Amino acid sequence: MATFGPAIDVSHLGKVYGPTVALNDVTLSVNTGEVRGLLGPNGSGKSSLMKTIMGLTKPSYGSIQVLGYDVRASPMDIKKIVGYVPESPRLYEFLTATEYLDFIADVRGLPYEQKKERIARFVDALDLEGKQGDMISSYSQGMKQKVAIIGALLHRPRVLLMDEPLNGLDPKSARLVKELIHGFAKEGVSVIFSTHILEIAEAICDKLTILQSGKILAEGTSKDLRENAGLPGSGLEDVFLKLTGTKGVEDIVEALIR
Amino acid sequence: MRLAVLFKFAKVLMISRLRSTRRSIVSRSITSRPILIGLIGIVLFVAALLFGYLTTVFLSSGGAPLTGPVAHQLVVTIFGGVPLFLVGFYFTMGLLWEVNASTEAESTDAINWLPITPGEYVAASALSTGYTYSPLLMVAFGYALPIGILTGNLAGFLVLVPIALLSTSVGSVSVEILRSALASASTAFNKLGGRITVIMRILGIILILLVTQLLFSGVFLIQIISSLVGTAAAASFVPVFWPTLAITKLLQSDFLGSAGFLGLSIALFLLLSYIALSLRAKYWAVTPGAIHFAGAGSVSGPSRLGYLGLSSPSIAMLKREIRSATRRKEVVRLMAIPIIMPIMISFPAIFSPAPSSTSGPAQIDPIFLVIPFLFGIGLGSLFLGMTSIGQEGRRLWNISALPVSANMLVKSKLLFTFLVSSIGLGLGAVVSALLLHASIFVILGFLGLGFVVILAEASLGIAVGSRFPDFSDGPRPRFVTVVGSIIGAVLGIVEMAIMALPLILSLILRTFLSILLPLQFVLALSGAVAGLLAWIAYSMSIKPVESILSELPN
Repeated sequence: MATFGPAIDVSHLGKVYGPTVALNDVTLSVNTGEVRGLLGPNGSGKSSLMKTIMGLTKPSYGSIQVLGYDVRASPMDIKKIVGYVPESPRLYEFLTATEYLDFIADVRGLPYEQKKERIARFVDALDLEGKQGDMISSYSQGMKQKVAIIGALLHRPRVLLMDEPLNGLDPKSARLVKELIHGFAKEGVSVIFSTHILEIAEAICDKLTILQSGKILAEGTSKDLRENAGLPGSGLEDVFLKLTGTKGVEDIVEALIR
Repeated sequence: MRLAVLFKFAKVLMISRLRSTRRSIVSRSITSRPILIGLIGIVLFVAALLFGYLTTVFLSSGGAPLTGPVAHQLVVTIFGGVPLFLVGFYFTMGLLWEVNASTEAESTDAINWLPITPGEYVAASALSTGYTYSPLLMVAFGYALPIGILTGNLAGFLVLVPIALLSTSVGSVSVEILRSALASASTAFNKLGGRITVIMRILGIILILLVTQLLFSGVFLIQIISSLVGTAAAASFVPVFWPTLAITKLLQSDFLGSAGFLGLSIALFLLLSYIALSLRAKYWAVTPGAIHFAGAGSVSGPSRLGYLGLSSPSIAMLKREIRSATRRKEVVRLMAIPIIMPIMISFPAIFSPAPSSTSGPAQIDPIFLVIPFLFGIGLGSLFLGMTSIGQEGRRLWNISALPVSANMLVKSKLLFTFLVSSIGLGLGAVVSALLLHASIFVILGFLGLGFVVILAEASLGIAVGSRFPDFSDGPRPRFVTVVGSIIGAVLGIVEMAIMALPLILSLILRTFLSILLPLQFVLALSGAVAGLLAWIAYSMSIKPVESILSELPN
């Protein structure tokens, strides 16, 4: 049964794929209505963390609670209340956008009037109007991303896990999604949001978590991270590069273009 | 035409075929080398040599050399059959290869943006097709060589070699025409509308499978060759028969006629090559069609399936299965198998030479009718069930992220397989009634048992397929691992043998002890066994599906 406390509570979580350690003793707490940004280099464990919270992969050790539900004991309860956008979502390309969203809505048990109204509203807002009867296989990457985002929002989730959701979106849609995240957070939805675009992370996230090699490297508000890195007043990119130990970018570039 | 580019490209195409079909049973070091096909060809050539020798020995009486009309008939049938069979085989296999290709993989083919001319493309692709299926050519040569030598027709064999090579080229180039035509047809169908495209695709694949089966039906092929020898005049106008006529005329010592048909065959090959090249130049790259379905832009209302007690999520899952099976090119063929299985199984009966008596059609023993039909449909259901989990591929996250239990997923797969196989069962009933003159009583029993057999075999298929799924989205996805396919096939046959035990026992009792058990009783007993096996297999499929849903494949 769901209890009060942090909306997402990850405790000493580990995930191992054979010899690869994807997550190493990760502890994270996201409050109700909080937007948490996940930052980190490629392969740092951001996607693994989201998949494990969503119940798409089993933790090797540690525990995860989402709105009081344990991910091992109650995966179905968690799937009912969470909306998930994976990195590069593979949708059912043999369906049209409407058929896909209709399928999602039916499986989630949305009544006919509600699903009709919500699908129409999202399709219109994200500029898919007129294309919703075409098979998804003919869509551009950005259009597929929009369909995946709508699919995650249709049932009004209480928790949102979005793995680089702005990939491939046009500026208008990207802005809309950012505003939506804000709006949902104000309504009490907790969001974990991963991105490589640091300006966006700083703009929309209440707190940031930097992952590297499956471990949490730093955590806090952007101000906290700047202080942590000893770079007050610097851009988040410099802070990120310093914290992740990325050095000599200029030297590498010079060697490449020579 | 740059020969270096041509051979390099042909090699790449061959490697692509090797790796997409044999990766889990042969080590990577061998599969990466097209020489594997050559080695297989050599082994098959030696085996066919032995088989051809044994055929000649078997037909010759008391060790004497095979001569006279029997030898002539054998040589004409085999030598004449080889070119016709090769043209058909190369064409059909090439076509099946195209049919199995996933639509997503086609448009990402690197060839679409590389500087290769249409001529190089066609030649390399035809060469690749020719070499890929060359083991069959080696079988034909290996089988025909001892027959040619031991019947004194070595000269005929030496002429057969270039004609057979020409036939494979005709088949390979025809595939190239078809590839371009399919690209063109897809565009045309897309303009017509989504559902027409889907229906045409399903009908096309069913037709291909039927033609393939006909091609491998020895009775059918021998009937064609016999008719060619008898009434060559009509066949002379059919281009696909020209290579065969070139060799049969030679064997009948009609050298002028043979040379004429050889010339026509060469002209046919050149003409087909020209058409292939022109079409490839016109319809170059395949792009995924923007198929629009009328009415698919509005959400669905309450379904009539709800009256059957199905919940809204269950109906949604079933609809998704149906759309996947009818719209994904690589999945349509799987659905077609249980549907056409009854017709394929009845080919030997349909094409058997007509009885000389005119006393009307003979009644077939009900048990001999029920067993093959049910086994055919059972095998189709097993196959469809086995591939049902793997075909989710990397789209599996869509289901894993939704509140869908393993039970619900397995039920939707089972229900879909049941519906598709039931069409096959219905067709089987029609074929039994119209062509094989089975009684209504037998057909009703056959239908009742058939529904339970479908459930048993489909459940077993899902149980095995969920333990050995292949989620890789290659150009030609397989959906179940090779090990899984073998285990599934063995278990499926064992399960069918167990279900057939009451039928077999009743046959033994009737034949040897003259004890006649009522057919209803025997069918009911088989049905009860099948029901029990269905329940066991269904229970066994839940755990692995749960495991898949909670641990997405990497």
